[in-house]
This record gives sequence, structure tokens and C-alpha cells, in this order.
Amino acid sequence: MSPRLRYVVHRLLATVPILLAMSLFVFLMIRLVPGDPVRTMLGFRATDENVATIRTALGLDQPLLDQYLSWLGGLMRLDLGQDFISKVPLTELLSERLPVTLELTFLAMGLALAIGIPAGVIAATRSKRTGRASTAFVVASISIPDFWLGIMLVLLFAGTFRLLPPSGYTPFAEDPVANLRYMILPILTLAVAEAAYILRTTRGAMEETLGTPFITFLRARGISERRIVYQHALRSAAVPIVTVVGIQLGVLLGGAIVVESLFALPGVGRMIVTGINQRNYPVVQAGVLAVATLFILLNLVTDLLYGALDPRLAEADA
Amino acid sequence: MTTAATTRSAPSHLTRLKRRTGGGEALVGFLLLGMLVFIAAGAPWIAPHDPEAIATGRVLGPPDLGHLFGSDALGRDVFSRVLYAFRVSLSVAIGSVILAALIGVPIGLIAGYRGGRVDAMLMRPLDLLLALPALLLAIALIAIIGPGALTVLVAAALIYVPILARVVRGSVMVTKQMPYVDAARARGVAERSVMIRHVLPNSVGPALIQGTVLMGFAIQIEAALSFLGLGAQPPTPSLGVMLSDGRDVLTQAPWVEIFPGLAIAVTVLALTLVGDGLRRQLDPRGMAR
Repeated sequence: MSPRLRYVVHRLLATVPILLAMSLFVFLMIRLVPGDPVRTMLGFRATDENVATIRTALGLDQPLLDQYLSWLGGLMRLDLGQDFISKVPLTELLSERLPVTLELTFLAMGLALAIGIPAGVIAATRSKRTGRASTAFVVASISIPDFWLGIMLVLLFAGTFRLLPPSGYTPFAEDPVANLRYMILPILTLAVAEAAYILRTTRGAMEETLGTPFITFLRARGISERRIVYQHALRSAAVPIVTVVGIQLGVLLGGAIVVESLFALPGVGRMIVTGINQRNYPVVQAGVLAVATLFILLNLVTDLLYGALDPRLAEADA
Repeated sequence: MTTAATTRSAPSHLTRLKRRTGGGEALVGFLLLGMLVFIAAGAPWIAPHDPEAIATGRVLGPPDLGHLFGSDALGRDVFSRVLYAFRVSLSVAIGSVILAALIGVPIGLIAGYRGGRVDAMLMRPLDLLLALPALLLAIALIAIIGPGALTVLVAAALIYVPILARVVRGSVMVTKQMPYVDAARARGVAERSVMIRHVLPNSVGPALIQGTVLMGFAIQIEAALSFLGLGAQPPTPSLGVMLSDGRDVLTQAPWVEIFPGLAIAVTVLALTLVGDGLRRQLDPRGMAR
């Protein structure tokens, strides 16, 4: 087996225990709540009778291992139980809400790359003043809390200029234009901080490459500056950019949770937060499970991309 | 032999200070940070008004001399509220990193020094903690334990333990190769002593840098969680809660929203500058993230 293939298999296999461990943690969540989770969930309706009924319905009176195995079995059949309050099947809830979170996360990362990479190239290749300005921009973007930026954007675009709605959502399938009108502020909010990290990474990698003797050699040979920058220097930035994207995906998903609450988007993040406030533990579990799985799978993809971009890494790992 | 020797005057105090702290910006960062800590500690004496004092006559009043940041929907002085809330946020941020260091640094030290099975046994469970996005893990912990500033502190610390442990482990693995470690061992110094007195002090640089970065994140995490209603609960003041409340009066009184946010931004900025400066001094090879 070639080292590359070995790396892929290795990485795929390594994901399984991570998913299992995460599922165990999510499973244990409801059982780690201090006191009696069923009483907490029922609140003032917690008569002994109700508590017993609900406990049996949720399977909490079974031995722990049986509970876990039957829960895992349910996962395999895509049956996650029901929302405790509305009784809607959780798989249905997730299938409605996950696309929103996915759209937000992917478009934000996409926009961040679209802004950050060219900006990084410019910062690396132009005058010192551009360089200083970009450093200032990066530091400022990283320091500002992203949801505060979101609120400021709302103040600017929805309050003062009345260009865009401050909250709300329409599914893309229904009305793409309306969907984008609602999504553009949330996406922009998340994308700014990410763009800063990507800018910094791109610029750093390019500056490092542009300083090497190899580049001097290329220039001496008469290769156009344009080709040097885009073909050679930018390629060296590919691996660090993928690294930073991988690291930032977690931050982005976390940010998405906050932004969803800020802009009242019907995504998984907001579902989790509402679930916590309502003591709706099944919903919280399902939401955490969904986002965590998404994160682990996205990390897998970036690691595989990594291996494809730089075969040395694949060999070193295998 | 040249006769024209160039004479350079001794570097000025400012230049020396700049060099010691890793650059001009880092110096600004240190001073800013010092000022912020001082303000946070001295909030009860610096605040001109009682942060909870409701004054119906001053509802949504704009900033002026008596109320530097204006007044909120209940007429309370925003400046005083920001001071007290900032105190809470800074305490949570510093506390979480210290707690994480108390747990993570020893783990990283032992894992890096011993290596092999001990290393794997210690680091594997920590890596599992990294399998969840940080904010999600914090939210999950809050779902279990219940909201509150202390929970946020513990949750943030838990997230940071694997990061700090990794950083310390990395630099310990480099330091333990150093000749002076071998020399100490050859002299017969006990292993534990070698670890604590020789390896540890020389490995903490990157961890210190990571610590300042993490403090910056902690402030943002605390604000985000409080914004969602999952962090500090009333009556504990919090910048995140102020940011959430400020939205209601955003167009009429933007200062209620702007100033708490600025407080966070300035603090994170100071910590970033300090971190960059420390990085230049202590970790030119880039072992911290």
C-alpha cells in the first residue's frame, strides 16, 4: 500500500474512536446533571408519577451500558428521540436546522478565504505602509468580539441605512435572494475575523518564501514577478492556509452558535441555546452531537487535504 | 587598520525598555494591560456612580462629563457598570488560565519528560477534549452544570488544559535534550529535581505566551456565553449581558452597546500585543500556537 493510501486509511480509522468517545460524552451529558435531570426537566410538573413515567420513556431506568447501546443503535437508524417539549422527532428538527448552520459556516469560511488570501498576497508584496495597515486590520479584527461586530453591522446597515434586515430567515430553496439578504450580515460578521487569520497566514508564508534564495534565482532567470508571486510563493502558503482553516473551523462553529442567536437564525446553534434555557436536554444532546460530528468530519477532510497537498506529511504520519 | 571608529551612544532607556519587552508595540501592550488590571482592581474606588443606581431622570442619556459612557435604559451610569463588569470578565479570564496552567503544565511536563507510554496515557484523553469546538464544549458543560461566571471559568480552564499541556510538552521535549540536563543527571540529581528545577523553568516560555493568547480568548468566550444568557447571571455584572441588553436600545442609545464592546476589544488588543512581544523574546522558534 502506498504511503499516501496508508495515511488515508489511518486517518479514517482514527476518526472512529474519536466519534465514539464524543458520542459517549454526549450520552453521559444528561446523566451528569447534578440532581435528577428528569425533575429538572419537568419543573413544576414533577410529581413522583410523572417523574417515573418520563424516566422510563427516556430509558433512564435501565443499566447504563444497555442505555448506551440502545442509544447508539438509535443513532444508526437515525433515531435520536424527540424534543422533550414539542415532541417533534429530533432527526426532523436537525434536518431543518442543520442546513442553516452549514450555509452560514461554509459561506463565512468561503468569504473569509476570498477576502483573506488576496489581501494576504497584497500585504506581502506591496509597500511597507500596506503591510502596517494590514497588521493593524488583523489585530483589530481579532480583538473585536465577533458578535459585537455583528451588532455594529446591524446598527450600520439595518438601523442607519436600512439596507438589510436585522434578523429573520428564508430557506434558500424558497427564495434565494431573500435568503442571501438575511444571511449576508451574519456571514460577514463571522467572515471578518476569519479573513484576518487567513490574511496573516498567507502573508507570513509568502513573505517567508519570497525571501528565499530560490526566488532570487527565479528572478535572475527572468521569470516574471507575477508568475513568481502567484505560482511559486502562493503555493507555499497552501499548507499553512489549510492548517489555519482546520484550526479555525472550531472557532467558526462556535461563532456560528452565537451569531445564530444574535440574528435569530433557525440553526442548530440557536436550537442548543434555547434547549439549555428550557432544560430540554434531548434537544441539547442532539444539537451537540450534530455539531461535534460535523466538526470531526470537517477536520478529517482538512487532514486528508493536508496529506494530498504535502505528501511528506502523509509519509511522516504513516 | 581603520582609524575612523564609529562611536555610537549608549541606547536610551526607552530603547532598552523596548528591547526587553520585545518591541515597541509590546511595550504599549504591557502598559495598557497594567492600566487595565489596575482599573479592574480599583473599580470600587474609580467608579463615579453606583452601577446599580437607577435614575429615571437620566434614561438613555448621552455621554457627558458626569457620565462618561452615557446612561442605559434604567438611567444607570454605563461607565461604572462597565468598570464592575470588566472586573468580573478579567477575573474569569485570568482565573481560567491560571487553573488551566495548574493542571496542564504538570501534565505536559511529565508527559514530555517521561515520553513513551506515560506520554500516550496522559495526552490521549486530553486530545479527546480537543475533538469538540471550544465554545461547544463550554456550552455543553454549562448545560450540565448550570450557568454562572464560575462555570464559565471552569469550562474555559477545561478547554485550555490540553492546549497548555501540549505546548509545555513540546518545549520540554526540546529542553530535555539540552546538555545541562544531562550534566545534572550525571551529577546524580534526582529525576524529579531535574524536572522541576532544570527543565521546567526553561520550558515555560511558550506556555506563557500561549497563556496570554488564551486569556484573550477567555474574555471573548465569557462575553459570548454571558451574551447568550449562559454565563454570569444577575446580579453579577457582565460585559456580555450588557452587550445583550444594549441591543434593545441600539438605535436610540448606541453608547450602551459600543462601550462594553470597546472594553473587550481593548483588553484583547493589549493581551495580543503582550503575547506578540513575549513571542519575540521567548519563543522565536514558534513552539506556541
